[in-house]
Amino acid sequence: MSYEMIAALMFGSMLMVMLTGQRMFGVIGFVAVVAAIGLWGDRGGHDLAFAQTIKLMNWFPLMTLPMFIFMGYVLSESKLADDLYRMFHVWFGPVPGGLAIGTILLMVLISAMNGLSVAGMAIGATIALPELLKRNYNKLMVTGVIQAGSSLGILVPPSVVLVLYAMIARQPVTHLWAAGLLPGLMLAGLFILYIWLRCRMNPDLGPVIDPDELAQVTKREKYLLLLSGLMPLGIFAVMMVPFVLGYTRLVESSVVGALAALAVSVLKGRMTWAILEVCTKKTLAISCMFLWIILAALAFGAVFDGLRAVDFVRALFMDNLGLGRWEILILMQISFILMGMFLDDTAMLVIVAPLYVPIVRMLEFDLIWYGVLYTITCQIAYMTPPFGYNLFLMRAMAPNEVSLGDIYRSIIPFVGVMILGLSLIMVFPQIALWLPGVLFP
Amino acid sequence: MPRALIAFVHLVEALNYRIGRLAMWGLFVLMGVLAWGAVARAGFSPQIWTDEMAQFLLLGYFMLGGAYALQMGSAVRMDLLYSRWSDRTKAAVDAMTIFTLLIYLGVLLWGGIESTQYALEYGERRRGMWRPYMAPIKIIMCIGIVLMILQCTAFLIRDIAKLRGVEIKERHA
Amino acid sequence: QSPIRWRLQTYAGAALGAQVAKPAIDMFNAIAGDEMQIDLYYADQLVPTEELFQAMQRGTIDAVQSDDDSMASPTEVTVFGGYFPFASRYSLDVPALFNDWGLNEIWAEEYEKVGIKHISAGSWDPCHFITSSPITSLADLEGKRVFTFPTAGRFLSQFGVVPVTVPWEDVEIALQTREIDGVAWCGITEAYEVGWADICSHFLTNNISGAWIGHFFANMDRWNELPEHLQKLLATCFEQSHYYRQHWYWAGEARLRTEGDKLELTSIPDAEWGTVEGAAREFWEEIAAESETKAKVVDIFRNYNAAMDMAGRPYRYS
Ligand code: NA
Ligand code: NA
Repeated sequence: MSYEMIAALMFGSMLMVMLTGQRMFGVIGFVAVVAAIGLWGDRGGHDLAFAQTIKLMNWFPLMTLPMFIFMGYVLSESKLADDLYRMFHVWFGPVPGGLAIGTILLMVLISAMNGLSVAGMAIGATIALPELLKRNYNKLMVTGVIQAGSSLGILVPPSVVLVLYAMIARQPVTHLWAAGLLPGLMLAGLFILYIWLRCRMNPDLGPVIDPDELAQVTKREKYLLLLSGLMPLGIFAVMMVPFVLGYTRLVESSVVGALAALAVSVLKGRMTWAILEVCTKKTLAISCMFLWIILAALAFGAVFDGLRAVDFVRALFMDNLGLGRWEILILMQISFILMGMFLDDTAMLVIVAPLYVPIVRMLEFDLIWYGVLYTITCQIAYMTPPFGYNLFLMRAMAPNEVSLGDIYRSIIPFVGVMILGLSLIMVFPQIALWLPGVLFP
Repeated sequence: MPRALIAFVHLVEALNYRIGRLAMWGLFVLMGVLAWGAVARAGFSPQIWTDEMAQFLLLGYFMLGGAYALQMGSAVRMDLLYSRWSDRTKAAVDAMTIFTLLIYLGVLLWGGIESTQYALEYGERRRGMWRPYMAPIKIIMCIGIVLMILQCTAFLIRDIAKLRGVEIKERHA
Repeated sequence: QSPIRWRLQTYAGAALGAQVAKPAIDMFNAIAGDEMQIDLYYADQLVPTEELFQAMQRGTIDAVQSDDDSMASPTEVTVFGGYFPFASRYSLDVPALFNDWGLNEIWAEEYEKVGIKHISAGSWDPCHFITSSPITSLADLEGKRVFTFPTAGRFLSQFGVVPVTVPWEDVEIALQTREIDGVAWCGITEAYEVGWADICSHFLTNNISGAWIGHFFANMDRWNELPEHLQKLLATCFEQSHYYRQHWYWAGEARLRTEGDKLELTSIPDAEWGTVEGAAREFWEEIAAESETKAKVVDIFRNYNAAMDMAGRPYRYS
């Protein structure tokens, strides 16, 4: 059997077994070790899987993963974001769609304090969602806003997805994070623009808050609430300033960030032993899920490398289809979005990225820039049915009046906005590349 | 179900729960080591052991915590079809496909044991200034993989029991 | 009949490997044709570099290109892998030492003990200081925090150099944030290639070693299974690879020194640099005391360098 056949067979059988719903890391690892032994069993082959543990260990920035996950849980479990939500509520209430706009801004701040979208999702669904529904906001608008907004968590630094991408593409994490910031803010801006336009055309979607309710808030309280906005900025500064000045390294600043979030929650009297225990436990659960999938996928990647699968994919795109470099890139993004409907972003990251990154490198596109495109595609994958992490979280956290159909329909305009953002960054790479260029000349 | 099997399930789950809880708190040890590295570098002299110790800790964290994380049901599944099945169908399919995990983990362990033997035989050390021996962390990884295999076996027994209409009680927590 | 298929993994990444490994492998494949094909893998592709030796010993990987140190070989000669301070002045010293002064025999014997065929050794780039402030005297070395090899770090600490361990991927950032003041890790080619030249400003022309020593190895059983003509062809292509690097680095290092505009060159006067060289001889004694094999290698280094000093120009200018 030719190598191409084996590679295709591996990929196909992996998707097949995944459909049975068995745990993903087991399926990926299983296909990898069976292929390795089948191919090279007469001389080694079985030791490839274990050797990947050392690869994983060597990759230092991976240590930020449990730290940022922990940080996110501290934020959501100790309800640190309550005041923040109230701040946006009071200040943006009088604007049409203002509470939805405030929610997006809240999500931006939360994104700056954690590396995944889970924390934003949890905070959005537990704090913002009930409040907005109570005030007759359109439920499609609200669920869409929370899902889209929380997905910014992986684009606005710190970002765990960009850390993992950096490992695969062998690019500096710092450059990638810097590159993610402006596109993240741009997407937030586009979301806000969309909400504002929609609510102007149809004020029923996001009614202005009842003036009586606002009248209950004193001027003093209103301005005091602004102070709560300092908290996320403070945590972000404590984490990033020593890093930029060279006192801490990347991994150490993730520790500083985790400890800072913990300290704030203790100072605000929100942390108890029970909450700390829950945060620590959930951090272990999510970190293990990530690390075991990565370990299995490294084995899969090693066998794929051994089969020269990259050459095969390259030959398919370039020789057989005879495409130019932009056509290939666009095709890759489309295939990526399509796969994102069926695959979890972790799976996309560890299985598809290793195939595509060498092609992007060969096409001489900037790998930092591609990392941003890639992350936005992951954000879309998070939200597109039938398989999307945010969709499931939303389903689990939303009240009963929000049906699964509502959730599915709610994301359509926001996915449209994200595809627009994606296209803008493709046409104007400087949106992503300007900041890293300034910070790391 | 034979009582020995039920006892086995409870034993394995209790063991993995305890070891997993220990690994779970290891997060703060990891933070401590990394923070100490930063403080020492800024304050007096760079420590040669903190980076590598942190790497070992991360490996230990997810290898020893892996079985507990499995117990908590944290591993992602592609639940396009899975989420629509009845508990019985889930148990039946899981009971068959759990062999993918067992085979992967088995091969992982095979490589791990060979690598550990090598580390012991040649006194393998990590490169760098500190040069710690590699055998201890490799032994810890092998233990973690064994715990994962035991946990998967416990899952298999639970699924078979479910198919026979027996529900094995959760007793570990 | 299908061709014999080998997997060779190099310690070099894809960019460097395209120069230092790929041409030779392509040449071998073109000549061997249907008889044998080698699949080339770059750093960490199949197994991480630390596991290369074990993987080759077990036969998961058939052949390896690396230095002794990077692949963590469990032999007596590992300490000489990479840069052993002042063992060589020029890259041509390496083939001379291995082919004419007996190092080949020692390496072959040491590796045979652990089931590995040592095919041949060749030289790569020299080891220089690349820093963010000028070095013009030994006093400038005092307190410099430098990313370097373990052996070099152990040796250089007597001159006040503070060896700092940083994960390799973080070196660039560590330089930017001034956590480290420079590297003593490679020649000027690599400094330009990986981007350190963009962050650092100075290059010290005095080197602590004339050439990094890299080897080709193979699993002993796999090697013995090959027909003799393929063994010869392999050895020849690998020799060709060493030869290619010899002029590629020799010409390239000089070109970047003269035409490159990112690093300013400085030197420590020869007489002063002689102190470091003298200290290296003492360091050698320390290593020689560790075992009989190490003593034998150090002896060869000592005699070779004495002979070169005696031969005078163009072998040695000081
Ligand atoms: Na973030
Ligand atoms: Na999706």
